[in-house]
Amino acid sequence: MADDKDVLRDVWFGRIPTCFTLNQDEVTEREAEPYYLLLPRVSYLTLVTDKVKKHFLKVMRSEDVEEMWFEYEGTPLKWHYPIGVLFDLHASNTVLPWNITVHFKSFPDQDLLHCPSNSIIEAHFMSSIKEADALKHKSQVVNDMQKKDHKQLWMGLQNDKFDQFWAMNRKLMEYPTEEGGFRYIPFRIYQTMSDRPFIQKLFRPVSPEGNTLTLGDLLKEMYPTAITNDGEQKRYQVVIHGIEPLLETPLQWLSEHLSHPDNFLHICVIPTPTD
Amino acid sequence: METWKSHVRAGLQQRDHREKLPFVGVFTSLSQLEEMFEIRKQILEDQSKSLDRGGVEVGKNTRLLQLQLRESEHLEEKLSQTVSDLTSVLYLKEAELQYWQSRVSQYRQEALSLAKGSNTLKATLSEIEFTAESQSKELAALRIENKRLHEALTQVWTEKERLVQRWMEEKKEEADRLNKYNDTQERWQHLAKQLKKHFQREMVKECVPIVTSSMSTTETPPSVIQGINNTTDVHQRHSKPSLEPT
Repeated sequence: MADDKDVLRDVWFGRIPTCFTLNQDEVTEREAEPYYLLLPRVSYLTLVTDKVKKHFLKVMRSEDVEEMWFEYEGTPLKWHYPIGVLFDLHASNTVLPWNITVHFKSFPDQDLLHCPSNSIIEAHFMSSIKEADALKHKSQVVNDMQKKDHKQLWMGLQNDKFDQFWAMNRKLMEYPTEEGGFRYIPFRIYQTMSDRPFIQKLFRPVSPEGNTLTLGDLLKEMYPTAITNDGEQKRYQVVIHGIEPLLETPLQWLSEHLSHPDNFLHICVIPTPTD
Repeated sequence: METWKSHVRAGLQQRDHREKLPFVGVFTSLSQLEEMFEIRKQILEDQSKSLDRGGVEVGKNTRLLQLQLRESEHLEEKLSQTVSDLTSVLYLKEAELQYWQSRVSQYRQEALSLAKGSNTLKATLSEIEFTAESQSKELAALRIENKRLHEALTQVWTEKERLVQRWMEEKKEEADRLNKYNDTQERWQHLAKQLKKHFQREMVKECVPIVTSSMSTTETPPSVIQGINNTTDVHQRHSKPSLEPT
Protein backbone atom coordinates (compact mmCIF):
# COMPACT_ATOMS: atom_id res chain seq x y z
CA MET A 1 0.00 0.00 0.00
CA ALA A 2 1.28 3.48 -0.89
CA ASP A 3 0.61 4.85 2.58
CA ASP A 4 2.55 2.01 4.16
CA LYS A 5 5.51 2.63 1.87
CA ASP A 6 5.50 6.26 3.01
CA VAL A 7 5.81 4.98 6.57
CA LEU A 8 8.86 2.95 5.53
CA ARG A 9 10.39 6.04 3.93
CA ASP A 10 9.65 8.24 6.95
CA VAL A 11 11.26 5.64 9.19
CA TRP A 12 14.34 5.30 6.96
CA PHE A 13 14.89 9.02 6.48
CA GLY A 14 14.44 10.00 10.12
CA ARG A 15 17.28 12.31 11.16
CA ILE A 16 18.57 13.68 14.45
CA PRO A 17 20.47 16.99 14.41
CA THR A 18 23.59 16.44 16.47
CA CYS A 19 26.41 18.60 17.76
CA PHE A 20 29.63 16.71 18.46
CA THR A 21 31.96 18.35 20.95
CA LEU A 22 35.42 17.15 21.85
CA ASN A 23 35.83 16.17 25.48
CA GLN A 24 37.58 18.95 27.41
CA ASP A 25 40.11 16.54 28.89
CA GLU A 26 41.50 15.66 25.46
CA VAL A 27 44.89 17.23 24.68
CA THR A 28 44.70 19.39 21.55
CA GLU A 29 47.04 21.66 19.60
CA ARG A 30 44.34 24.28 19.24
CA GLU A 31 40.74 24.66 20.31
CA ALA A 32 38.41 22.18 18.57
CA GLU A 33 35.29 23.56 16.92
CA PRO A 34 32.12 21.53 17.44
CA TYR A 35 30.97 19.46 14.49
CA TYR A 36 27.34 19.42 13.34
CA LEU A 37 25.82 16.42 11.62
CA LEU A 38 22.34 15.06 10.82
CA LEU A 39 22.46 11.48 12.05
CA PRO A 40 20.25 8.83 10.43
CA ARG A 41 18.06 7.28 13.11
CA VAL A 42 18.37 3.79 11.64
CA SER A 43 22.17 3.72 11.35
CA TYR A 44 24.97 3.16 13.86
CA LEU A 45 27.11 5.86 15.44
CA THR A 46 30.46 4.49 14.34
CA LEU A 47 29.21 4.02 10.79
CA VAL A 48 28.30 7.66 10.18
CA THR A 49 30.95 9.53 12.14
CA ASP A 50 33.96 9.28 9.84
CA LYS A 51 33.74 13.01 9.20
CA VAL A 52 33.50 13.70 12.92
CA LYS A 53 36.67 11.72 13.52
CA LYS A 54 38.46 13.46 10.67
CA HIS A 55 37.34 16.86 11.98
CA PHE A 56 38.68 16.32 15.49
CA LEU A 57 41.87 14.56 14.42
CA LYS A 58 42.96 17.81 12.77
CA VAL A 59 43.47 19.43 16.15
CA MET A 60 44.96 16.43 17.92
CA ARG A 61 48.39 14.94 18.06
CA SER A 62 48.47 11.42 16.68
CA GLU A 63 50.09 10.04 19.84
CA ASP A 64 47.07 11.18 21.93
CA VAL A 65 44.56 9.39 19.73
CA GLU A 66 43.08 6.07 20.73
CA GLU A 67 39.75 4.51 19.75
CA MET A 68 36.97 7.07 19.38
CA TRP A 69 33.87 6.71 21.55
CA PHE A 70 30.84 8.83 22.39
CA GLU A 71 29.12 9.89 25.54
CA TYR A 72 25.94 11.79 26.40
CA GLU A 73 25.67 13.43 29.83
CA GLY A 74 27.98 10.87 31.39
CA THR A 75 26.45 7.82 29.69
CA PRO A 76 28.71 6.03 27.19
CA LEU A 77 26.71 5.49 23.98
CA LYS A 78 26.62 1.89 22.74
CA TRP A 79 27.46 1.97 19.04
CA HIS A 80 25.76 -1.39 18.47
CA TYR A 81 22.35 0.12 19.29
CA PRO A 82 20.69 2.06 16.47
CA ILE A 83 21.18 5.83 16.78
CA GLY A 84 17.43 6.46 17.08
CA VAL A 85 17.22 4.04 20.01
CA LEU A 86 20.10 5.82 21.79
CA PHE A 87 18.41 9.18 21.29
CA ASP A 88 14.93 8.03 22.37
CA LEU A 89 16.36 6.25 25.39
CA HIS A 90 18.68 8.96 26.69
CA ALA A 91 17.77 12.29 25.14
CA SER A 92 14.28 12.23 23.66
CA ASN A 93 12.94 15.10 25.75
CA THR A 94 15.98 17.40 25.56
CA VAL A 95 16.65 20.51 23.50
CA LEU A 96 17.96 19.94 19.98
CA PRO A 97 20.58 19.58 18.61
CA TRP A 98 21.65 16.55 20.56
CA ASN A 99 24.96 17.26 22.28
CA ILE A 100 27.32 14.32 22.11
CA THR A 101 30.78 14.39 23.62
CA VAL A 102 33.60 12.76 21.66
CA HIS A 103 36.40 10.94 23.44
CA PHE A 104 39.70 9.59 22.15
CA LYS A 105 41.04 8.06 25.34
CA SER A 106 39.91 6.13 28.45
CA PHE A 107 37.73 3.74 26.46
CA PRO A 108 35.05 2.31 28.84
CA ASP A 109 35.60 -1.42 28.20
CA GLN A 110 32.98 -2.29 30.82
CA ASP A 111 30.21 -0.48 28.95
CA LEU A 112 31.10 -0.52 25.25
CA LEU A 113 32.15 -2.97 22.58
CA HIS A 114 35.25 -2.10 20.58
CA CYS A 115 34.67 -1.12 17.00
CA PRO A 116 37.99 -0.96 15.15
CA SER A 117 36.43 -1.09 11.66
CA ASN A 118 33.18 -1.10 9.70
CA SER A 119 33.45 -4.87 9.24
CA ILE A 120 32.61 -5.23 12.94
CA ILE A 121 29.45 -3.19 12.44
CA GLU A 122 28.62 -5.28 9.37
CA ALA A 123 29.08 -8.51 11.35
CA HIS A 124 26.84 -7.20 14.14
CA PHE A 125 24.20 -6.00 11.66
CA MET A 126 24.11 -9.27 9.72
CA SER A 127 24.02 -11.26 12.94
CA SER A 128 20.95 -9.28 14.07
CA ILE A 129 19.24 -9.83 10.70
CA LYS A 130 19.90 -13.58 10.94
CA GLU A 131 18.61 -13.72 14.52
CA ALA A 132 15.46 -11.85 13.49
CA ASP A 133 14.87 -14.18 10.55
CA ALA A 134 15.36 -17.20 12.79
CA LEU A 135 12.45 -15.87 14.86
CA LYS A 136 10.32 -14.88 11.87
CA HIS A 137 10.90 -17.70 9.36
CA LYS A 138 13.15 -20.28 11.08
CA SER A 139 16.06 -18.69 9.10
CA GLN A 140 14.59 -19.94 5.83
CA VAL A 141 14.62 -16.57 4.03
CA VAL A 142 18.08 -15.42 5.06
CA ASN A 143 19.55 -18.86 4.29
CA ASP A 144 18.01 -18.82 0.82
CA MET A 145 19.72 -15.49 0.10
CA GLN A 146 23.05 -15.34 -1.66
CA LYS A 147 26.16 -13.64 -0.37
CA LYS A 148 25.55 -10.71 -2.72
CA ASP A 149 22.03 -10.30 -1.30
CA HIS A 150 23.49 -10.03 2.21
CA LYS A 151 25.96 -7.50 0.83
CA GLN A 152 23.12 -5.54 -0.74
CA LEU A 153 21.40 -5.24 2.63
CA TRP A 154 24.59 -4.03 4.26
CA MET A 155 25.55 -1.64 1.44
CA GLY A 156 22.03 -0.23 1.47
CA LEU A 157 22.44 0.67 5.12
CA GLN A 158 26.02 1.82 4.81
CA ASN A 159 25.34 4.12 1.88
CA ASP A 160 21.88 5.17 3.08
CA LYS A 161 20.18 3.74 -0.03
CA PHE A 162 16.54 3.10 0.79
CA ASP A 163 15.64 1.38 -2.51
CA GLN A 164 18.72 -0.82 -2.53
CA PHE A 165 18.04 -1.97 1.01
CA TRP A 166 14.29 -2.51 0.65
CA ALA A 167 14.63 -4.38 -2.65
CA MET A 168 16.14 -7.16 -0.56
CA ASN A 169 14.62 -6.52 2.86
CA ARG A 170 11.14 -6.96 1.35
CA LYS A 171 11.82 -10.70 1.21
CA LEU A 172 12.51 -10.74 4.94
CA MET A 173 9.13 -9.14 5.57
CA GLU A 174 7.02 -11.68 3.70
CA TYR A 175 4.94 -14.36 5.43
CA PRO A 176 2.33 -16.95 4.46
CA THR A 177 -1.10 -15.28 4.30
CA GLU A 178 -2.83 -18.19 6.03
CA GLU A 179 -0.57 -17.82 9.09
CA GLY A 180 -1.46 -14.15 9.53
CA GLY A 181 2.08 -13.06 10.37
CA PHE A 182 5.58 -14.06 11.34
CA ARG A 183 6.29 -17.06 13.56
CA TYR A 184 7.55 -14.81 16.34
CA ILE A 185 8.00 -11.03 16.43
CA PRO A 186 11.65 -9.98 16.78
CA PHE A 187 11.50 -7.21 19.37
CA ARG A 188 13.59 -5.66 22.12
CA ILE A 189 12.25 -3.50 24.93
CA TYR A 190 14.75 -1.02 26.33
CA GLN A 191 14.41 0.77 29.63
CA THR A 192 16.59 3.36 31.32
CA MET A 193 15.51 2.41 34.83
CA SER A 194 17.01 -1.06 34.86
CA ASP A 195 20.44 -2.67 34.67
CA ARG A 196 19.05 -5.22 32.23
CA PRO A 197 20.10 -4.18 28.72
CA PHE A 198 16.74 -5.08 27.19
CA ILE A 199 13.81 -7.52 27.30
CA GLN A 200 13.62 -10.06 24.50
CA LYS A 201 11.30 -13.07 24.59
CA LEU A 202 9.24 -15.16 22.20
CA PHE A 203 5.93 -13.54 21.27
CA ARG A 204 3.59 -14.44 18.43
CA PRO A 205 1.67 -11.83 16.40
CA VAL A 206 -1.55 -13.90 16.51
CA SER A 207 -3.15 -15.52 19.57
CA PRO A 208 -3.98 -19.28 19.60
CA GLU A 209 -7.63 -18.27 19.04
CA GLY A 210 -6.62 -16.43 15.87
CA ASN A 211 -6.89 -12.88 17.21
CA THR A 212 -4.41 -10.23 16.08
CA LEU A 213 -2.16 -9.23 18.98
CA THR A 214 -1.26 -5.60 19.56
CA LEU A 215 1.51 -3.51 21.08
CA GLY A 216 -0.65 -3.31 24.23
CA ASP A 217 -0.84 -7.12 24.43
CA LEU A 218 2.95 -7.34 24.16
CA LEU A 219 3.55 -4.76 26.87
CA LYS A 220 0.90 -6.34 29.11
CA GLU A 221 2.89 -9.54 29.05
CA MET A 222 6.46 -8.22 28.95
CA TYR A 223 6.31 -4.93 30.82
CA PRO A 224 2.89 -4.35 32.48
CA THR A 225 4.01 -1.27 34.42
CA ALA A 226 4.55 0.56 31.11
CA ILE A 227 0.78 0.57 30.55
CA THR A 228 -1.30 3.34 32.08
CA ASN A 229 -4.54 2.08 33.65
CA ASP A 230 -7.79 4.05 33.62
CA GLY A 231 -7.70 7.02 35.98
CA GLU A 232 -3.99 6.60 36.54
CA GLN A 233 -1.43 9.26 35.71
CA LYS A 234 0.80 8.35 32.78
CA ARG A 235 4.18 7.29 34.12
CA TYR A 236 5.93 5.93 31.04
CA GLN A 237 6.17 6.71 27.36
CA VAL A 238 6.43 3.83 24.90
CA VAL A 239 8.54 5.18 22.07
CA ILE A 240 9.42 3.65 18.69
CA HIS A 241 11.33 5.77 16.16
CA GLY A 242 10.63 8.90 18.19
CA ILE A 243 6.84 8.46 18.24
CA GLU A 244 4.33 6.91 20.62
CA PRO A 245 2.19 4.43 18.62
CA LEU A 246 -1.30 3.64 19.96
CA LEU A 247 -1.40 0.48 22.07
CA GLU A 248 -4.01 -1.03 19.73
CA THR A 249 -1.55 -1.01 16.83
CA PRO A 250 -1.16 -4.59 15.53
CA LEU A 251 2.26 -5.98 16.37
CA GLN A 252 2.65 -7.63 12.97
CA TRP A 253 2.18 -4.29 11.18
CA LEU A 254 4.61 -2.62 13.57
CA SER A 255 7.18 -5.34 12.92
CA GLU A 256 6.81 -4.93 9.16
CA HIS A 257 6.91 -1.16 9.09
CA LEU A 258 8.61 0.17 12.21
CA SER A 259 11.42 -2.35 12.54
CA HIS A 260 14.98 -1.11 12.17
CA PRO A 261 17.11 -2.36 9.26
CA ASP A 262 18.35 -5.13 11.56
CA ASN A 263 14.71 -6.38 11.43
CA PHE A 264 14.15 -5.92 15.17
CA LEU A 265 11.39 -3.78 16.59
CA HIS A 266 13.24 -1.61 19.13
CA ILE A 267 10.83 -0.30 21.77
CA CYS A 268 11.97 2.27 24.34
CA VAL A 269 10.12 2.67 27.64
CA ILE A 270 11.09 5.99 29.20
CA PRO A 271 9.67 7.93 32.15
CA THR A 272 7.18 10.65 31.21
CA PRO A 273 8.82 14.09 31.55
CA THR A 274 7.57 15.91 34.63
CA ASP A 275 7.63 19.49 33.24
CA MET B 1 -7.30 4.27 7.14
CA GLU B 2 -7.25 2.69 10.58
CA THR B 3 -6.82 5.10 13.51
CA TRP B 4 -3.62 3.47 14.69
CA LYS B 5 -2.08 3.73 11.25
CA SER B 6 -2.94 7.38 10.74
CA HIS B 7 -1.66 8.01 14.27
CA VAL B 8 1.72 6.49 13.33
CA ARG B 9 1.89 8.49 10.09
CA ALA B 10 0.98 11.73 11.86
CA GLY B 11 3.47 10.95 14.62
CA LEU B 12 6.31 10.41 12.14
CA GLN B 13 5.49 13.66 10.36
CA GLN B 14 5.37 15.58 13.64
CA ARG B 15 8.67 14.03 14.63
CA ASP B 16 10.29 15.19 11.38
CA HIS B 17 8.79 18.68 11.84
CA ARG B 18 10.42 18.77 15.25
CA GLU B 19 13.74 17.02 14.66
CA LYS B 20 14.57 17.13 10.98
CA LEU B 21 12.98 19.91 8.95
CA PRO B 22 14.12 22.91 11.05
CA PHE B 23 17.73 21.69 10.88
CA VAL B 24 18.12 20.06 7.48
CA GLY B 25 18.63 23.32 5.55
CA VAL B 26 21.25 24.78 7.84
CA PHE B 27 23.08 21.48 8.30
CA THR B 28 23.24 20.90 4.53
CA SER B 29 24.50 24.44 3.87
CA LEU B 30 27.09 24.01 6.59
CA SER B 31 28.27 20.77 5.07
CA GLN B 32 28.54 22.33 1.59
CA LEU B 33 30.45 25.30 2.99
CA GLU B 34 32.81 22.96 4.75
CA GLU B 35 33.48 21.13 1.49
CA MET B 36 34.18 24.41 -0.33
CA PHE B 37 36.39 25.51 2.49
CA GLU B 38 38.37 22.30 2.25
CA ILE B 39 38.87 22.77 -1.50
CA ARG B 40 40.03 26.36 -1.14
CA LYS B 41 42.29 25.45 1.69
CA GLN B 42 43.83 22.73 -0.45
CA ILE B 43 44.42 25.19 -3.32
CA LEU B 44 46.02 27.69 -1.02
CA GLU B 45 48.30 25.02 0.35
CA ASP B 46 49.27 23.91 -3.17
CA GLN B 47 49.99 27.49 -4.25
CA SER B 48 52.05 28.32 -1.23
CA LYS B 49 54.07 25.15 -1.90
CA SER B 50 54.71 26.17 -5.53
CA LEU B 51 55.72 29.67 -4.41
CA ASP B 52 58.12 28.17 -1.87
CA ARG B 53 59.70 26.14 -4.64
CA GLY B 54 60.31 29.43 -6.55
CA GLY B 55 57.90 28.65 -9.31
CA VAL B 56 56.21 31.11 -11.67
CA GLU B 57 53.94 33.55 -9.89
CA VAL B 58 50.43 33.31 -11.14
CA GLY B 59 48.09 36.18 -11.59
CA LYS B 60 44.90 36.79 -9.72
CA ASN B 61 42.76 35.63 -12.67
CA THR B 62 44.58 32.34 -12.93
CA ARG B 63 44.01 31.78 -9.21
CA LEU B 64 40.32 32.41 -9.60
CA LEU B 65 40.12 30.12 -12.62
CA GLN B 66 41.93 27.40 -10.74
CA LEU B 67 39.48 27.74 -7.90
CA GLN B 68 36.52 27.53 -10.24
CA LEU B 69 38.07 24.53 -11.94
CA ARG B 70 38.46 22.72 -8.63
CA GLU B 71 34.94 23.53 -7.61
CA SER B 72 33.66 22.35 -10.98
CA GLU B 73 35.64 19.16 -10.62
CA HIS B 74 34.16 18.63 -7.19
CA LEU B 75 30.70 19.31 -8.53
CA GLU B 76 31.31 16.95 -11.42
CA GLU B 77 32.36 14.25 -8.99
CA LYS B 78 29.17 14.75 -7.06
CA LEU B 79 27.06 14.75 -10.20
CA SER B 80 28.70 11.61 -11.52
CA GLN B 81 28.01 10.02 -8.13
CA THR B 82 24.38 11.09 -8.43
CA VAL B 83 24.19 9.63 -11.95
CA SER B 84 25.69 6.39 -10.72
CA ASP B 85 23.21 6.32 -7.82
CA LEU B 86 20.31 7.00 -10.13
CA THR B 87 21.47 4.26 -12.51
CA SER B 88 21.62 1.73 -9.70
CA VAL B 89 18.18 2.90 -8.51
CA LEU B 90 16.93 2.41 -12.06
CA TYR B 91 18.28 -1.15 -12.11
CA LEU B 92 16.68 -1.77 -8.75
CA LYS B 93 13.39 -0.38 -9.92
CA GLU B 94 13.53 -2.58 -13.00
CA ALA B 95 14.20 -5.61 -10.81
CA GLU B 96 11.37 -4.53 -8.54
CA LEU B 97 9.09 -4.11 -11.55
CA GLN B 98 9.92 -7.63 -12.68
CA TYR B 99 9.25 -8.91 -9.21
CA TRP B 100 5.88 -7.20 -9.09
CA GLN B 101 5.05 -8.44 -12.60
CA SER B 102 5.79 -11.99 -11.50
CA ARG B 103 3.61 -11.41 -8.44
CA VAL B 104 0.81 -10.06 -10.67
CA SER B 105 1.07 -13.11 -12.91
CA GLN B 106 1.03 -15.37 -9.84
CA TYR B 107 -2.04 -13.60 -8.51
CA ARG B 108 -3.69 -13.83 -11.94
CA GLN B 109 -3.14 -17.60 -11.89
CA GLU B 110 -4.54 -17.76 -8.39
CA ALA B 111 -7.54 -15.66 -9.47
CA LEU B 112 -8.16 -17.98 -12.41
CA SER B 113 -8.06 -21.11 -10.29
CA LEU B 114 -10.29 -19.40 -7.73
CA ALA B 115 -12.74 -18.44 -10.49
CA LYS B 116 -12.81 -22.07 -11.67
CA GLY B 117 -13.40 -23.21 -8.12
CA SER B 118 -16.13 -20.62 -7.79
CA ASN B 119 -17.85 -21.88 -10.98
CA THR B 120 -17.71 -25.47 -9.73
CA LEU B 121 -19.15 -24.37 -6.42
CA LYS B 122 -21.89 -22.43 -8.21
CA ALA B 123 -22.82 -25.54 -10.24
CA THR B 124 -22.88 -27.66 -7.09
CA LEU B 125 -24.97 -25.01 -5.39
CA SER B 126 -27.52 -24.97 -8.20
CA GLU B 127 -27.71 -28.80 -8.09
CA ILE B 128 -28.22 -28.67 -4.35
CA GLU B 129 -30.87 -25.98 -4.80
CA PHE B 130 -32.71 -28.17 -7.34
CA THR B 131 -32.57 -31.17 -4.98
CA ALA B 132 -33.71 -29.01 -2.11
CA GLU B 133 -36.66 -27.74 -4.20
CA SER B 134 -37.79 -31.25 -5.23
CA GLN B 135 -37.39 -32.45 -1.67
CA SER B 136 -39.39 -29.52 -0.41
CA LYS B 137 -42.19 -30.41 -2.90
CA GLU B 138 -42.05 -34.04 -1.75
CA LEU B 139 -42.22 -32.86 1.81
CA ALA B 140 -45.29 -30.75 1.08
CA ALA B 141 -47.04 -33.75 -0.57
CA LEU B 142 -46.10 -35.98 2.35
CA ARG B 143 -47.44 -33.38 4.75
CA ILE B 144 -50.78 -33.33 2.93
CA GLU B 145 -50.90 -37.15 2.95
CA ASN B 146 -49.97 -37.13 6.62
CA LYS B 147 -52.76 -34.65 7.34
CA ARG B 148 -55.28 -36.81 5.47
CA LEU B 149 -54.19 -39.92 7.33
CA HIS B 150 -54.30 -38.05 10.57
CA GLU B 151 -57.90 -37.02 9.89
CA ALA B 152 -58.82 -40.63 8.99
CA LEU B 153 -57.15 -41.82 12.15
CA THR B 154 -59.13 -39.33 14.20
CA GLN B 155 -62.32 -40.54 12.57
CA VAL B 156 -61.45 -44.19 13.26
CA TRP B 157 -60.62 -43.31 16.84
CA THR B 158 -63.97 -41.64 17.26
CA GLU B 159 -65.69 -44.68 15.74
CA LYS B 160 -63.75 -46.99 18.03
CA GLU B 161 -64.64 -44.90 21.07
CA ARG B 162 -68.28 -45.03 20.08
CA LEU B 163 -68.16 -48.82 19.63
CA VAL B 164 -66.35 -49.31 22.93
CA GLN B 165 -69.01 -47.19 24.57
CA ARG B 166 -71.71 -49.28 23.00
CA TRP B 167 -69.98 -52.50 24.01
CA MET B 168 -69.63 -51.26 27.57
CA GLU B 169 -73.32 -50.46 27.68
CA GLU B 170 -74.10 -53.88 26.28
CA LYS B 171 -71.91 -55.51 28.89
CA LYS B 172 -73.50 -53.46 31.59
CA GLU B 173 -76.95 -54.60 30.48
CA GLU B 174 -75.74 -58.21 30.33
CA ALA B 175 -74.35 -57.93 33.83
CA ASP B 176 -77.65 -56.49 35.03
CA ARG B 177 -79.53 -59.33 33.40
CA LEU B 178 -77.27 -61.90 34.96
CA ASN B 179 -77.49 -60.26 38.36
CA LYS B 180 -81.26 -60.29 38.11
CA TYR B 181 -81.18 -63.98 37.17
CA ASN B 182 -78.82 -64.71 40.05
CA ASP B 183 -81.11 -62.87 42.43
CA THR B 184 -84.03 -64.98 41.20
CA GLN B 185 -81.99 -68.13 41.59
CA GLU B 186 -80.94 -67.13 45.06
CA ARG B 187 -84.43 -66.37 46.05
CA TRP B 188 -85.61 -69.67 44.53
CA GLN B 189 -82.90 -71.61 46.40
CA HIS B 190 -83.79 -69.84 49.61
CA LEU B 191 -87.43 -70.75 49.14
CA ALA B 192 -86.50 -74.33 48.22
CA LYS B 193 -84.39 -74.57 51.33
CA GLN B 194 -87.21 -73.26 53.48
CA LEU B 195 -89.62 -75.58 51.76
CA LYS B 196 -87.28 -78.48 52.34
CA LYS B 197 -86.93 -77.62 56.01
CA HIS B 198 -90.65 -77.21 56.32
CA PHE B 199 -91.24 -80.47 54.57
CA GLN B 200 -88.73 -82.26 56.79
CA ARG B 201 -90.38 -80.82 59.87
CA GLU B 202 -93.77 -81.99 58.59
CA MET B 203 -92.32 -85.37 57.87
CA VAL B 204 -90.86 -85.65 61.35
CA LYS B 205 -94.22 -84.72 62.88
CA GLU B 206 -96.00 -87.30 60.83
CA CYS B 207 -93.41 -90.02 61.37
CA VAL B 208 -93.22 -90.05 65.21
CA PRO B 209 -96.52 -91.90 65.86
CA ILE B 210 -95.85 -94.19 62.97
CA VAL B 211 -92.43 -95.13 64.28
CA THR B 212 -93.84 -96.01 67.59
CA SER B 213 -96.53 -98.25 65.95
CA SER B 214 -94.74 -99.63 62.99
CA MET B 215 -91.31 -98.57 61.66
CA SER B 216 -91.90 -99.81 58.11
CA THR B 217 -95.18 -97.84 57.34
CA THR B 218 -93.89 -94.32 58.41
CA GLU B 219 -90.65 -94.23 56.41
CA THR B 220 -90.55 -91.53 53.67
CA PRO B 221 -89.67 -93.04 50.40
CA PRO B 222 -85.97 -91.97 49.72
CA SER B 223 -86.67 -91.08 46.13
CA VAL B 224 -88.74 -87.95 47.09
CA ILE B 225 -86.05 -86.41 49.35
CA GLN B 226 -83.37 -87.28 46.88
CA GLY B 227 -85.42 -85.57 44.15
CA ILE B 228 -85.63 -82.32 46.12
CA ASN B 229 -81.90 -82.43 46.87
CA ASN B 230 -81.10 -83.17 43.28
CA THR B 231 -83.20 -80.20 42.11
CA THR B 232 -81.31 -77.87 44.49
CA ASP B 233 -77.97 -79.18 43.19
CA VAL B 234 -79.00 -78.59 39.62
CA HIS B 235 -79.99 -74.95 40.43
CA GLN B 236 -76.75 -74.39 42.28
CA ARG B 237 -74.69 -75.77 39.38
CA HIS B 238 -76.47 -73.42 36.94
CA SER B 239 -76.37 -70.28 39.06
CA LYS B 240 -72.80 -70.39 40.43
CA PRO B 241 -70.74 -69.69 37.25
CA SER B 242 -73.15 -67.00 36.01
CA LEU B 243 -72.62 -64.92 39.17
CA GLU B 244 -69.01 -64.39 38.39
CA PRO B 245 -68.41 -61.10 36.57
CA THR B 246 -67.49 -61.38 32.97
